[in-house]
Amino acid sequence: MIKIENLTISFDDKKAVSDISLEIKPGEILGLVGESGSGKSVTALSLMGLMSHEAVLESGRVTFGDTCLLKAGEKPDEKMLRSYRGKHMSMVFQEPMTSLNPTMKVGPQVAEQLLLHAKDRYPDAQSRRKCVVETFESVGLKEADSLYDKYPHQLSGGMRQRVMIAMAVILHPELIIADEPTTALDVTIQNQIVRLLKEINERENNSMLFITHDLNLARRICTRLLVMKDGKVVERGDTEKIFTDPQTDYAKKLIAAVPGRVKHPEIDINNSTGNKILSVRDLSVFYKEQSKKLFGGKINRQVVFSAGFDIYEGETLGLVGESGCGKSSLCKAILGINTNIKGSIENKTVRPQMIFQDPYSSLNPVRTIGWQLEEPLYTMDVLDKDIKTDKKWRKEQALKMLERVGLDESYYSRMPSQLSGGQRQRVSIAQALITKPKLIFADEPVSALDVTIQDQVLDLLEDLQQEYGIAYLFISHDINVIHRVSDRIMVMKDGHILEIGDRDKVFEDPENAYTKELLAEP
Amino acid sequence: MTYILKKIATLIITLFLVSVLAFLAFQIIPGDVVTSILGTEATPEREDALRAELGLDKPPVERYINWATGVLRGDFGKSYRYSKNMNEMMPVADLIGDKLPVTLWLALLSLILTILISIPLGVLWAGTKNKFFDGILNVLTQGSMAVPAFFLGILVTYLFGIIFKAFIPGSYVGYKDDFPGFISYMIFPAIAIAIPKTGMTARFLRNSTLTELKSDYVRTAKSKGVTDGHILFKHVLRNAMLPVVTFLGMIIAEVVAGSIVVEQVFALPGIGRLLISAISTRDFPVVEILILYITMVVIIVYFIVDIIYRILDPRIRVE
Repeated sequence: MIKIENLTISFDDKKAVSDISLEIKPGEILGLVGESGSGKSVTALSLMGLMSHEAVLESGRVTFGDTCLLKAGEKPDEKMLRSYRGKHMSMVFQEPMTSLNPTMKVGPQVAEQLLLHAKDRYPDAQSRRKCVVETFESVGLKEADSLYDKYPHQLSGGMRQRVMIAMAVILHPELIIADEPTTALDVTIQNQIVRLLKEINERENNSMLFITHDLNLARRICTRLLVMKDGKVVERGDTEKIFTDPQTDYAKKLIAAVPGRVKHPEIDINNSTGNKILSVRDLSVFYKEQSKKLFGGKINRQVVFSAGFDIYEGETLGLVGESGCGKSSLCKAILGINTNIKGSIENKTVRPQMIFQDPYSSLNPVRTIGWQLEEPLYTMDVLDKDIKTDKKWRKEQALKMLERVGLDESYYSRMPSQLSGGQRQRVSIAQALITKPKLIFADEPVSALDVTIQDQVLDLLEDLQQEYGIAYLFISHDINVIHRVSDRIMVMKDGHILEIGDRDKVFEDPENAYTKELLAEP
Repeated sequence: MTYILKKIATLIITLFLVSVLAFLAFQIIPGDVVTSILGTEATPEREDALRAELGLDKPPVERYINWATGVLRGDFGKSYRYSKNMNEMMPVADLIGDKLPVTLWLALLSLILTILISIPLGVLWAGTKNKFFDGILNVLTQGSMAVPAFFLGILVTYLFGIIFKAFIPGSYVGYKDDFPGFISYMIFPAIAIAIPKTGMTARFLRNSTLTELKSDYVRTAKSKGVTDGHILFKHVLRNAMLPVVTFLGMIIAEVVAGSIVVEQVFALPGIGRLLISAISTRDFPVVEILILYITMVVIIVYFIVDIIYRILDPRIRVE
């Protein structure tokens, strides 16, 4: 049994986790849920003794069976910790793209585990290779033998995560810590990985600590849950009990914010007026790419293949598909950011706008919020001759917009770095809305946000839609978010539009086999 | 294969452009080889005669074509200034062929020193938790970069030549006459070149190692129970070397083109010194060939860097 007792860890005198206790029993999957910054990852890393050097262990201890791994006030015994890491407990990380050494073949990276902890059982390279290949097969990797000699970049995200899992299970540790193992993966792959982890847990009867911000996911896999907020455990108990009968306000709020497929009658209004404002016909989008041939020049790579669809005034068209399927390319082509296209785009609105995914990097870090909001206003008088785009008017507009997205006047002179992710995304929305467009492309606008913030931002987008009669093309990989916001749904794969239809029709009776797989409720 | 052909095509085009530019530059800069040879007192008739002898009376385009066809045939022309004997001017090929090995040996020795010292130093520096060691290296490497090359040359001469008496300053012997003596003399100018380069490379490698140490795959390795030393040398070094290889390429290109100051301080007859004197006496045939040589070295070094990069980083290997 693995135990954390009264653990407090601080960075620069700021407590990252305070007075946390938990125990993980054999065979169970304990979920650690909470929003970003709630101290989930620090807790997990402390189990492995892998906190950064700046972390100070103020109180508490971590025990593994009868052994004390970490104790406040005592210098950790690195040698002892190393003998536990990998052998008795192992970790699966969030980012399969960066968590493997890019310059080392994947087989040897996994074999390193055997070399470190089980050299007596696997003395020669051949036996180690055999064991790695077998483990690869057990985690569902095909052609395991040739995979051994591949580099991480030759593998897809899902395959890399399977390699990470192989690395974690090869020595059959008593504890596996999975830190957001599916967050960076596409939906269909996500389901496979979750199923695999659950299967491993049943097969090996080990303990698992499953860290996630995705409550739907936690509900599917975890036996017990620990809800964390600001470094404290606010609620603990059996998963179903927490979901059906949350005790604390925070847990209630968190669970209410989870986008489910339940219909909310009050927000399920179809605002569409039936006027076509955008029609796209036979649109193909290309990117220029350097040819590999001598003097080959540039070649056109097609990313969208004869797309055709319409958007009506005031509606939300949800666009789903896995990463790389051409969703963003389609938007950029319609907005005129990429002009290397064929086909026709008929846009009846002026100034269509875009809201971007990453609120951290899509605002200019050295300009004030006010400046960024005013910037699109400078050219307003080109189309609207009666507008005077002077300083006073611009500031007035910016302040009005700030208020509308729920930020007070003081934000006008602030810098993006002083804002949280949710506030920044509000600024991005204000920036898109300030020129009063009738059509907005929202490219994963809530994917980088925590659930409760996600919920607020979605509410805001829906309110604004009703108020101004805006149509959204709403891109998301999160099926539940799409279900919540969309009137109609469009499914894309490999640059082709597979299906367009009313939301309920697509969800309940999809025509395409791929749609079925993508939208399947796990 | 197409990759190599592409590189060769770039090499040829660049060499052509550079030679034209160098030729043009020589047309524009003030000063005249004829006055430089004969002095200002010469009669106009004598000047015209010499001009005709050197082929300088022909129009520029024709002169360039004559020179370029000569180079393509393997005839690098004759120096305007250096003579072989009383009646004959020195062929440029002989002139450079004589001095090039000096520079190349100097470059090779200083590079070996730089790489051998800076790479282990940079990695250990990044890995150390010892504050004192860290501070000392910080001061030393910063100092080595700040001291000007000529002063470093004097310092090395004073330290090894006067105090330790490891070599006799100014006692350069040609590589043809006494090769071991040549090398044992060359070590010291090589040290003078290597000191700042070692400082820079070690700092650079330290920084890139520290960046790599923060990356996710290092955390993965730690979670497996790998020791710190193993992480540093087995996991991080190869990744951390990637930017350093490019940096080393820049250093190689620099030293192979001739270290003018160090050659001057240690009185070495290398091509750095030749280039300076050829420019100041308007010895066009020599300058042209030297510029072509330097261009070629830079391009070839970058080509090699590219290949090493491909070996180190599987992500950019061509299929």
